[in-house]
Amino acid sequence: MKIIYTDVLIIGGGLAGLRVATGVKERGHDAVILTLVPPKRSHSAAAQGGMQASLANCAMGEGDDEDVHFADTIKGSDWGADQEVARMFTHCAPKAIRELAAWGVPWSRVDRGDHTAIINAKKVTITERDEAHGLITARDFGGTKKWRTCYTSDGTGHSMLYAMDNKAHDDKVEIHERMEAIALLHENGRCYGAIARNLMDGELVAYVSKATTIATGGYGRIYEVSTNAIICQGMGQAIALETGIATLGNMEAIQFHPTAIVPVGILTTEGCRGDGGLLLDKDGYRFMPDYEPDKKELASRDVVSRRMTEHIRKGKGVKSHYGDHLWLDITILGREHIEKNLREVKEICENFLGIDPAEEWIPVRPTQHYSMGGIRTTYRGESQTLKGLYSCGEAACWDMHGFNRLGGNSVSETVVSGMLVAEYIADFCDTPESSVNIHSSTIEKFLKIEEEKIEALLTVENGEDAYVLRRAMEKIMMEKVGIFRNGKDLQEAVDELEALYKRSKNIEVFRSKSRAANPALVNAYRTQRMLKVALTVAYGALLRTESRGAHAREDYPERDDANWLKRTITSWPDKEQTMPTVTYEEIPIGKMELPPGFRGYGKDMTLHNTESKVRQETVAAIRKKLEEGGASRFEIQNALMPFKHKLPSKYQNRNERLNEPLGEEHE
Amino acid sequence: MSEKKDGHQLRKLQVDILRFDPHDPDDFPHIETFEIEEAHGMTLFVLLNEIREHHDNSLKFDFVCRAGICGSCSMLVNGKPTLACRTLTKKLDQHITLAPLPLFELIGDLSINTGTWMRGLNERLETWIHDKEQELNVDALEERMEPDLADEIYELDRCIECGCCVAGCGTIQMRPDFVGAVGLNKIARYHLDPRDKRDNKDYYELVGDENGVFGCMTLLGCEDVCPKDLPLQSKIAYLRRMMLRTGLKG
Amino acid sequence: MKKPKIDKTPARLDFIQSATGLILALFIMGHLLFEASILISNEMMYKVTLMFEGYYFFGERYPGIISFLAAAISAIFILHAAVAMRKMPSKYREYRIMRKHTASLHHEDSSLWMIQVLTGFAMFFLGSVHLYGMMAQPDQIGPFLSSVRVVDGHMAPLYLLLLFSVVSHAFIGMYRLALKWGFMEGKNSKKSRKIHKFLMRGFILVYLVIGSFSLAKYIEIGMTHDFSDGETYHSQTIQMESEQ
Ligand SMILES: Cc1cc2nc3c(=O)[nH]c(=O)nc-3n(C[C@H](O)[C@H](O)[C@H](O)COP(=O)(O)OP(=O)(O)OC[C@H]3O[C@@H](n4cnc5c(N)ncnc54)[C@H](O)[C@@H]3O)c2cc1C
Ligand code: HEM
Ligand code: HEM
Ligand code: SF4
Ligand code: F3S
Ligand code: FES
Repeated sequence: MKIIYTDVLIIGGGLAGLRVATGVKERGHDAVILTLVPPKRSHSAAAQGGMQASLANCAMGEGDDEDVHFADTIKGSDWGADQEVARMFTHCAPKAIRELAAWGVPWSRVDRGDHTAIINAKKVTITERDEAHGLITARDFGGTKKWRTCYTSDGTGHSMLYAMDNKAHDDKVEIHERMEAIALLHENGRCYGAIARNLMDGELVAYVSKATTIATGGYGRIYEVSTNAIICQGMGQAIALETGIATLGNMEAIQFHPTAIVPVGILTTEGCRGDGGLLLDKDGYRFMPDYEPDKKELASRDVVSRRMTEHIRKGKGVKSHYGDHLWLDITILGREHIEKNLREVKEICENFLGIDPAEEWIPVRPTQHYSMGGIRTTYRGESQTLKGLYSCGEAACWDMHGFNRLGGNSVSETVVSGMLVAEYIADFCDTPESSVNIHSSTIEKFLKIEEEKIEALLTVENGEDAYVLRRAMEKIMMEKVGIFRNGKDLQEAVDELEALYKRSKNIEVFRSKSRAANPALVNAYRTQRMLKVALTVAYGALLRTESRGAHAREDYPERDDANWLKRTITSWPDKEQTMPTVTYEEIPIGKMELPPGFRGYGKDMTLHNTESKVRQETVAAIRKKLEEGGASRFEIQNALMPFKHKLPSKYQNRNERLNEPLGEEHE
Repeated sequence: MSEKKDGHQLRKLQVDILRFDPHDPDDFPHIETFEIEEAHGMTLFVLLNEIREHHDNSLKFDFVCRAGICGSCSMLVNGKPTLACRTLTKKLDQHITLAPLPLFELIGDLSINTGTWMRGLNERLETWIHDKEQELNVDALEERMEPDLADEIYELDRCIECGCCVAGCGTIQMRPDFVGAVGLNKIARYHLDPRDKRDNKDYYELVGDENGVFGCMTLLGCEDVCPKDLPLQSKIAYLRRMMLRTGLKG
Repeated sequence: MKKPKIDKTPARLDFIQSATGLILALFIMGHLLFEASILISNEMMYKVTLMFEGYYFFGERYPGIISFLAAAISAIFILHAAVAMRKMPSKYREYRIMRKHTASLHHEDSSLWMIQVLTGFAMFFLGSVHLYGMMAQPDQIGPFLSSVRVVDGHMAPLYLLLLFSVVSHAFIGMYRLALKWGFMEGKNSKKSRKIHKFLMRGFILVYLVIGSFSLAKYIEIGMTHDFSDGETYHSQTIQMESEQ
């Protein structure tokens, strides 16, 4: 029996996991990272477009600050987000990006003087300020008031991940590659680490730790076509679920990205539209202004995806072998711009489509892209129900995205939440409470259970084929739990998934019986777990009889604040049950800084909560009074919804901007 | 999708794969041939998964992003190191041979352990910003950088550690201690970066020898196979000039 | 911070290798052109020989100069060979790896390097013989003397091999030199490499043609000329005092 002890075990070597590791390490705690692949190959590398942080350096970002970023984020979330968390996030995003700048990310910079940009299909000249020269610049992204998305060409995630991983090397973080966490170790409501399987030689290892963090990213691969990497299979959520104690939040909140290429589903960044690219239909007609005259192509992702789907349903899609699609036209940006700022997009078009995007249109359609749901945590990133278990990044439902996340807010979340959660974990590890009190017999028991599961997969006879089950699941999710949802389809999806789940208990690994590196074995046990995750998504979607953010019910097109201003909480308390248990967590309006209102797309279909109006008035009154008294925006914010006390003290200070120098703080 | 692409004549592909499971004491490296129906827009990613799902579920290979950005899937395709996920079958002959990249530890079949190798390289060359003296203030404005310089650094930062340049370099095949183009490119990247406070002498310590920049024999395999089209030749030359100057000055 | 002293040797060796290679290559470019003066006329070749013997500076022939030149070139040649040896596959195992690598990769520049190694290896012998000859018998050069050596001294096959070796080795070497140090790289290094490669091919071709023709001429003279009145060439335009 191999046991490895450490202070903090981090499952996942993406941006979030790495940031937690360096954070706790700098506080003097040992950290071990487990990851399926070398950290630099994590899915975070795929983020192209950028990271949101309200630096307000570039001309089109002038006037930006935490308040604007906060409002965008909450509106984007369709009021599903936790507003305190969103505040903590927007406050720390500039710090996180500056930290990354110091660690080596070559952020694209402001270049003083004139440059041209394409806005609303027209060439515009923008003049950058002299004093901003050399500071980090930003581009336009959907759902934002200001240009706030900082980037390095279109390899933002790549540069960030490389800088983070290199930093982890520098900090001597231990990284165990190709180690897959397959179960969490826990006893008496407290998590003590995980059982992991070495994907190269099959050995099972117990990692015992004071604190355990799940940063395993999203679960997009339960869908047939997804922009996600193929390792985004929701294993983090699944092993949390399998403790029977930890809970998942808002699993049904799945984002579809408007522009993934057809058929392979590889993403072309939102930056394409941010930089001025257009969506066209089969007639070459630009249709978005008809639906969203205001924001057009740059409406929030969920909105654009639905409008595209609607338009395709009207018969305006381009027919192809692989179903209907629309066009993304970036030829108007010019070759020079594409070769400099949209290089990855160009490479993808050349390699996977055989076209030159500077000359030809790109075939696109909305595709599964992001998981807003995940392991439900407190603002400290700790599971609400299983002590010692933490989670952050896409894996978590920390909940700053609510039912729709803004482009660029996700990589930003990974590093911000990583940096905060690392502090909270370190605080926890500094207390005596954190000492490890698990019996070695318990560890042995957990190891044995996992061993037996694997043994069973290899020895069952006349069992099910995991590939068949998995493909069936992917298809159901795709067809019945997609962009537009309805009660009938969702019910069918839930029933069929449950049937598949039952069958999955009898999976047999055919032919390939090796206990060492064995892809068939891996697929078998992951399929079992993916089915659980898929069920939480489909079931949550079935029960939520409203439309909010990315969750769009054709049979309930209104956002229903009266009944549904709450988070879906899923758990799996009994191993034998074949459906998840669903409960709800209220989102209290009384404390909101930004009470629910109209999001500003289409016509207002909201069924308002009476409390919203009350809170709106309270907020307006406080604001008015303080403004008259000459209070600063910080004082007003603090009066509406204080949050700074929740932050680690070293991150409580204000952020400097060109128009907000740090000196003022002491006035 | 334009019709002419779909007009491509679909073939029955003959795929030879070099197979070996080092965990199986009875196994030895051998070629196994699969016959696969080509599909429209088929990449080697699709093809290999097809084999795994319908022909032999024990076939080992690595894909992560399947979009040509993570560097997991490098292998020898008809002898040339390249990213399998973004290789369209229609650009290949009907007869395809696949083999794992040489030099790296073999996990099985086409799956190799590039991660450990790259990590070793990063540790050896200390590929991170060295700036211990300065206490970072995350509240203050970030340090300025010339826009063109930022672009130039990013250009070199685009390396995805796929290992193709290592497999394409004869020098490193003969002398495994050589850092290879991937390592030299990284040093060139940090050398450019004003945030890294190491000076020429520090870099010379790292790459000023036969295992470093003076070991490169300008074979240019690296430059020609790099899937990210990094300007490796030019950067190695740049580094060589810097290191020569440092070496001659002493 | 105090830093330990760096080891300058690797930088120096690399520099020496390139510098000696460059000198040798430039030398050969000149050498083969001078040699080709035979294509113009025997007289021309004779004048060139005289020039090297210092006749035009001192009014007298000093074959010792040639000896000295040959010795100097030999020194550079040996230095270059000694330094470049580091790069040659030192074990058969390494050579085999490299052969296999270039064969499976189908990569031109790697193959070019193999050519350089093989030609370098060949020149180690061929070049030494020739250089020794030039050092030992500096006075035995001229349109007729040389032709006699080529034909009756059985040097023709050696020269042919040496010619092919040295021309390919030198120009591949110059190409590699340019890329290695980034000479005349310009903004677009992919484009400048193409130009360098084009020049390399062109020079190899031109020099092989020139060299082959000169060698053919020496052979022709050696085979057809009637040497009954001595093997030394007697110029019509230049009258040596010693001959008067
Ligand atoms: C194509 C694409 C483009 C995107 N572009 C943007 C963008 O421009 N801006 C933006 O803000 N966001 C973007 N996103 C979203 C963003 O990239 C992700 O949400 C974010 O990177 C997630 O980071 P993470 O650290 O949480 O997880 P990941 O980067 O997914 O890392 C997960 C880690 O967990 C490990 N892991 C998983 N399971 C296990 C297990 N069982 N045991 C051990 N280890 C495990 C993996 O090996 C990996 O290291 C994009 C997403 C996609 C799909
Ligand atoms: C004994 C004879 C010789 C041997 C063994 C030899 C060997 C080599 C080798 C192995 C290289 C490759 C080094 C590398 O890739 O780093 C090389 C490079 C070179 N050689 Fe030679 N060589 C010999 C003679 C010559 C001659 C006669 C010339 C000129 C005509 C010459 C010109 C060059 C040049 C220009 C280079 C490139 C230099 C560099 O890469 O730094 N060599 N030689
Ligand atoms: C200073 C030194 C050298 C002198 C004086 C010299 C002189 C000569 C002379 C006089 C000839 C004519 C043939 C003969 O007389 O035998 C000749 C031919 C030749 N030399 Fe040299 N040489 C020198 C160095 C070299 C070197 C270093 C090389 C290459 C490694 C070389 C390669 C050749 C070749 C290939 C030929 C045949 C020419 C042809 O094909 O036309 N020489 N050399
Ligand atoms: S330099 Fe190019 S070939 Fe080498 S590892 Fe980096 S991306 Fe791959
Ligand atoms: S192939 Fe190798 S020898 Fe140098 S130029 Fe590239 S590293
Ligand atoms: S799978 Fe990521 S590069 Fe091929």
